[in-house]
Amino acid sequence: MKATQEKSEKAQKLIDRMGEKLNRQMAGSLLACVHCGMCTDSCHYVLANPGDPTYAPAYKADRIRKIFKRHFDWTGRVLPKWVGAATVNTDEDLEELKDIVFGKCTNCRRCTINCPMGVDYATFNRMARGLLVSVGVMPEGVAVVSKDQWETGNQMGVLKEDYLDTLDWMEEELQEELEDPTLKIPVDVPDCDVVYSINPREVKYDPRSIADAAKIFHAAGESWTMPSEGWDMTNFGLFSGDDDLGGSVAGRLFESVEELRGKKLVISECGHGYRSTRCEGPNWAKSDVPFEMESSVNTMLRYIKEGRIKVDKTRNPEPVTFHDSCNNARSCGLFEEPRELLNLVCMDFREMYPNRAENYCCTGGGGAMSMSEYTPQRLKSGITKANQLKETAADFVVTSCHNCVDGLADVIRHYEVGMKVTQLVNLVANALVIEKKVAVPVETPVAPEVVEEVPVPVGVGAEGEELPLAGRRILVADDEPDQLDFISAVLEDNGAEIIRATTGDEVLELARKEKPDVLTLDLHMPGRDVGEVFDLIRKDPELGDLKICIITGKPELRRLIYERSVRPPEGYVDKPVDEKRLLVNVKKVLEVVHQDA
Amino acid sequence: MHEMSDLLRVIHTLHWYALAFMGLVYVIRINWFVKRFKAGGERQAATGIPGRTTPKKGILYSWGNVAMPWSMESSRTRPFFYLQFVAFHLGVTAAILLLFIIPLGPGLLENEAVVLALRIPIGAAFLVGLGRMVRRFGDKYMRAISSPDDYFSLILLTVWFFFAFLAVPNSTANGEWHLIGYFLIATFFLAYVPFSKISHYLYYPFTRYYIGKSLGHRGVFPILRGPARG
Ligand code: SF4
Ligand code: SF4
Repeated sequence: MKATQEKSEKAQKLIDRMGEKLNRQMAGSLLACVHCGMCTDSCHYVLANPGDPTYAPAYKADRIRKIFKRHFDWTGRVLPKWVGAATVNTDEDLEELKDIVFGKCTNCRRCTINCPMGVDYATFNRMARGLLVSVGVMPEGVAVVSKDQWETGNQMGVLKEDYLDTLDWMEEELQEELEDPTLKIPVDVPDCDVVYSINPREVKYDPRSIADAAKIFHAAGESWTMPSEGWDMTNFGLFSGDDDLGGSVAGRLFESVEELRGKKLVISECGHGYRSTRCEGPNWAKSDVPFEMESSVNTMLRYIKEGRIKVDKTRNPEPVTFHDSCNNARSCGLFEEPRELLNLVCMDFREMYPNRAENYCCTGGGGAMSMSEYTPQRLKSGITKANQLKETAADFVVTSCHNCVDGLADVIRHYEVGMKVTQLVNLVANALVIEKKVAVPVETPVAPEVVEEVPVPVGVGAEGEELPLAGRRILVADDEPDQLDFISAVLEDNGAEIIRATTGDEVLELARKEKPDVLTLDLHMPGRDVGEVFDLIRKDPELGDLKICIITGKPELRRLIYERSVRPPEGYVDKPVDEKRLLVNVKKVLEVVHQDA
Repeated sequence: MHEMSDLLRVIHTLHWYALAFMGLVYVIRINWFVKRFKAGGERQAATGIPGRTTPKKGILYSWGNVAMPWSMESSRTRPFFYLQFVAFHLGVTAAILLLFIIPLGPGLLENEAVVLALRIPIGAAFLVGLGRMVRRFGDKYMRAISSPDDYFSLILLTVWFFFAFLAVPNSTANGEWHLIGYFLIATFFLAYVPFSKISHYLYYPFTRYYIGKSLGHRGVFPILRGPARG
């Protein structure tokens, strides 16, 4: 068989580009494997698929290694069959490779640290992803997210006005919560000590974490700001293997800090964001970074140690465990600081086993959450994680990674673990003891008064006070009776009039008939496809004013909604949903004003 | 001690040539590896707990990993595998030493202790080789990752251990077929190894160096394990 025989253009390009991409580390890893099989059991995919050797790290690695051997190593040129060398010829071959490098490996690097030869499969798996992406072969989600990040500068396509609106909204919430109208979420303030960068997921699905971080900066008296441009610290280049994208995204963030003359870039809790920005960014961007960078975990820990913030751990009495993000722990050495912090802000922290650099992937690593075609195998691979979680018997699993939040939430739901996912920023904010400045006449000494943490306003005012959702009609759509009851009860208690639907068809019918102000929409219901229902509602001129808040336990279904060409929903809440988040989000949704409205 | 037959003498000579050939191929191969592939660097400031890890510590830890079965879950949880690994590689070392002792210092083999010191690891390696064959042929996962070279190299090594075990006293009391077998296979090996996975030891220092350097810089190596369960 000739290596050059009838190759598709893409296959040929992939081989040529592999030659350009290979460095000594990768070539060493490709040459050194002795097929000893020691890494086999270290992979969560293997553990979840007993008897299926195609998930074994060395088997998957060999799909890439065979190309390397065939084209770049003389042993493979001279004796291809003998040493397991082979080429790729067709686009179908590339599709097969795609399903392995994207669908069967989260690049978690657990096999790497368990290989006696030091073979770093995850690194050359990422290279293979990059090669496939460079010839246009990739899962649809990877294409969509990469495009968003190239075009809008952030991987969720969040528009600048939405980002700034969310910051304003959170600022108002905080002012109300802390009864301090001077409190600010500063934007584009030059010469600050800290420039804070976030994950666009926080804007879209978890704005509370921005407010929590702001509360902590405020309490610490930090000189800080958020940039209005180049604020996304996530980087899909890490997942897609596209170093150019990686360099461009990291470069944008670095530039924004330089433009603001910030002294330190603080990266909010996100494993891949931290790794891409702190550890890979300067390499991809091929530039040295003239300021410090740290994870917000270190920042929060520092504030407590320096006495800049006070915390009361009794406010977090529930048992919590910690999930180490692969990117943080195995690629950046961030594993002791979160534990130190947890012990300072929680009453009952318990380890999960194995942990730190030996922890198992949440299943959502390597961009897996954006590749819905591989969701079944991803969920199946979560059994090991589910067992790890169950064994702790904790109420909460804490993680310093937004990807892990989604990955864990999925695993918890799928395997009915009965646990909630949260982040350190939420726990620290919850434990924060804030000294409220009481307004007093001038020249009277100001006595700091310790006030209890005020939860996000739920609108339950004093007797007779108008309830926050009074006069609002809300269509609550969910097929799970418990969820339906819970959401309805919370909204009803706050004054809303509730209409209930349990199927896609009912949603459509009741929306048209009842004309509610808000629709809370579960993405997974029987009957008509919810994506279609959403589309029909958006296209119905009579329902132009209807605000929609997605409430879902299946983040992978987001694409049903967000990839449509109609106006996106006004709000989004992840399940399991709690009262506080639900109300905050519904209130926000009601405040949205569309220019076309 | 024995007088070499002409055949054995020819094989001996051949074996030196094969050794030279292997050395030459290795030089070419390392040259190719180093020149063809540029080493990637890391610009970012170090991460991890300051002072706990450095690239240097990472490299030393990474190289030392072979002697620290507790450092990796894969060897920590399989002590028997680790022992097999040790026995196998000690056997290889002993069998290679023998290649030099017989032609250059045969007198050493008059000492019973030396004979034992060589025979025990070689015999153990032979048994491990048999066990590894069973695993490689019988285990579905191992079959899925095995190339013809993997099977062949293992069989050849195991057979070589067998002959090496017999060859250790360097005695021809029962003929010299075992010595011929031992040297012939060794000669073939020396020429074959550069093309096979057996030359993994050539890359081992590099791969472990680079992973150690990188993970040392990133605060991961040496691995820090938390308190034990329970
Ligand atoms: S442990 Fe390392 S050498 Fe062994 S099969 Fe896995 S990657 Fe290859
Ligand atoms: S990097 Fe992680 S997911 Fe990929 S093969 Fe290795 S252990 Fe499995």
